[in-house]
Amino acid sequence: MSASAQGSSTTTKAVVSDAKNGDEAKEQKPAAQLEEDDEFEDFPMEDWTEEDTQLPGGNTHLWEESWDDDDTSEDFSVQLKEELKKVGKA
Amino acid sequence: MPGFGASMGMVETFLRETNEVLRERDGERLQDFLVIEPPFKPIYENLIAEVRQSYPQDDEGKDRKRLEERIQGFMTECEEIPSENGVVGSWSAMVQFLAEWLAFLRDLNVENLLDTYLRLSELLKKATNALGHSTKGIIILPTVIAYAKVFARLAIGLDKKPELIAHLVISTSEDGSQETLPEKAAEVLRKAFVSCLNDRNTTPTGIRDGKPDGKKVAIYKLANICLKVLFQCDKKESGEYIFANISNSSPPLSIYPASERVTYLYYLGRFHFMANHFYPAQIALQRAYDECPIHASCLKQRRLIVIYLIAANLILGRFPTPSLYGRPEAHGLRERFHPITRAIAKGDLESFRRLMDWKTEHAPWFLHYRIFEQIQNRCEVYVWRSIFRKVFLLSGDQGDTNRRAAPTIDLRKVLAAFHYFEKRAMMNEALAQQDAGPGRRHISFLFMDTTPPASAGYVDPDFDGLDIKPVVRFQDIIEMEAIASSLVLQGFLNGFISHSRQKFAITGAKKKGGALVAGFPRVWEVVRQKAQGQEDECPGWKRDGGAVGLGGTVIRLSGARGVGVGEW
Repeated sequence: MSASAQGSSTTTKAVVSDAKNGDEAKEQKPAAQLEEDDEFEDFPMEDWTEEDTQLPGGNTHLWEESWDDDDTSEDFSVQLKEELKKVGKA
Repeated sequence: MPGFGASMGMVETFLRETNEVLRERDGERLQDFLVIEPPFKPIYENLIAEVRQSYPQDDEGKDRKRLEERIQGFMTECEEIPSENGVVGSWSAMVQFLAEWLAFLRDLNVENLLDTYLRLSELLKKATNALGHSTKGIIILPTVIAYAKVFARLAIGLDKKPELIAHLVISTSEDGSQETLPEKAAEVLRKAFVSCLNDRNTTPTGIRDGKPDGKKVAIYKLANICLKVLFQCDKKESGEYIFANISNSSPPLSIYPASERVTYLYYLGRFHFMANHFYPAQIALQRAYDECPIHASCLKQRRLIVIYLIAANLILGRFPTPSLYGRPEAHGLRERFHPITRAIAKGDLESFRRLMDWKTEHAPWFLHYRIFEQIQNRCEVYVWRSIFRKVFLLSGDQGDTNRRAAPTIDLRKVLAAFHYFEKRAMMNEALAQQDAGPGRRHISFLFMDTTPPASAGYVDPDFDGLDIKPVVRFQDIIEMEAIASSLVLQGFLNGFISHSRQKFAITGAKKKGGALVAGFPRVWEVVRQKAQGQEDECPGWKRDGGAVGLGGTVIRLSGARGVGVGEW
């Protein structure tokens, strides 16, 4: 499959650059591995406790429910406003 | 395997030992005993050599019969025996399985992947038959699970080598439909799963001392192996059977180990996502995410869960916060998702169209995870809502509560906004950027052809070669009314349309303390309210306290309606 082929090539690249520049590769490697394939692998352990799942700092604010954009002064809105002014004039 | 007496043959020693293990009902030891993966220890090599010599392969199956007879002679544990509760039936399936195992080792050729797969399939079927014994079947359960894992790995591996299995793919099932190798493999695994699910030799609830009783202990292990095959080979829809059966007769998920819970909820969430049931998908995936360990060793699992969790939430009108994007498993996801949520919030249909174009930079990534079209189709409606909102903010009539005049939006202006975005979306991006609006356009823009390119229109391939100019069609005022009606129907806009005045009037502004709050309810709020009463409803997730079904009822998950899913 092409996806896995691509994945393995990125891993090889990461390993190669690892030899050249350790620090840089350390940062790149996880990212490259993350995109490899979509197989949900078996967990390395069978069971765990709730503490193992706690996000650091207890930050559980994951979702923004109020995301409406009220900004009318940025370029996007200014351009749109000009466009709307034309309505009815023609 | 123990040491061997010099006078005894290897087969005989093996059978005596096996009988002893069965007598002790030691399932773990039996699994250690019945290896299938090379390299084998010398003792097994000797056993294989003896089987090859004494029971060579025979096309008519005589070797198998002779093996079974030999096995039967030693397996007192497989005979019918009287007990306090009546007669315990004979376990002939175990004898057949052991014969199959010896023949499997004898003929194993790992160079031939397909043959190994087919033989392992037979072996697993025989093991599953042996698992069916009401009282003794549980002894072979660890072996079945171990084989199932190897079998699944082989099936997935083979599915990626179509040249080896092409001739198997065209075979048809009983109802005439084509069945692929992974589906057949899943069918073999499913039988083991059903055997555990329907174990009657347990307490009525299937729970003993807070733990799954009997063979029910393996329900989710086997379900997850089966689902892995189906998902890896893109046959997710076949997972419905597993989820429906679990809904029907499994003990609650909460009494199973965390690894099984999280894996199962991941597959369940993805199944609902695939079926466009985004609310239940979000429920299952959120719990999978919450219960997944934050250890670095589980980063890959967290990554997969969070990708689908974000996609499901986007579709339900909830966007990731910076703290979610900041998580290690979400590395790089902001670059992919944030431009989309930004376009939705602003009502920037032009950017949305560009981001959701098949040719866009990130499209292959979204397509790889199969979340592209869902976001494209479902989230466009939120862009529409934002356009209405933006047009109201920029040019709406705020109304007059004293004169009881409702705030209104001119639908002709909404139409102008749609046209403005659609036309820009058809320009190349560099050209669109030069168009900074009337009076502010770059001088070069004036000399450019801004009519949409021919490629923006559609000509059916049937008309290929004929001189037909594609027509690029833009929305008209009637479509604005249709879009407004659709948004009202889905609860994303509050008000009514005045057809004669071509306006949309917002209702309830005075009561709710403002036209924006009254006219444009938050998407997530609307979705959540629709789901109320069935907020925890996630078909396929067996909760605590739910009555265990008595069998016979099959819940059709495909008929389950996704909450929060509009009619569009």
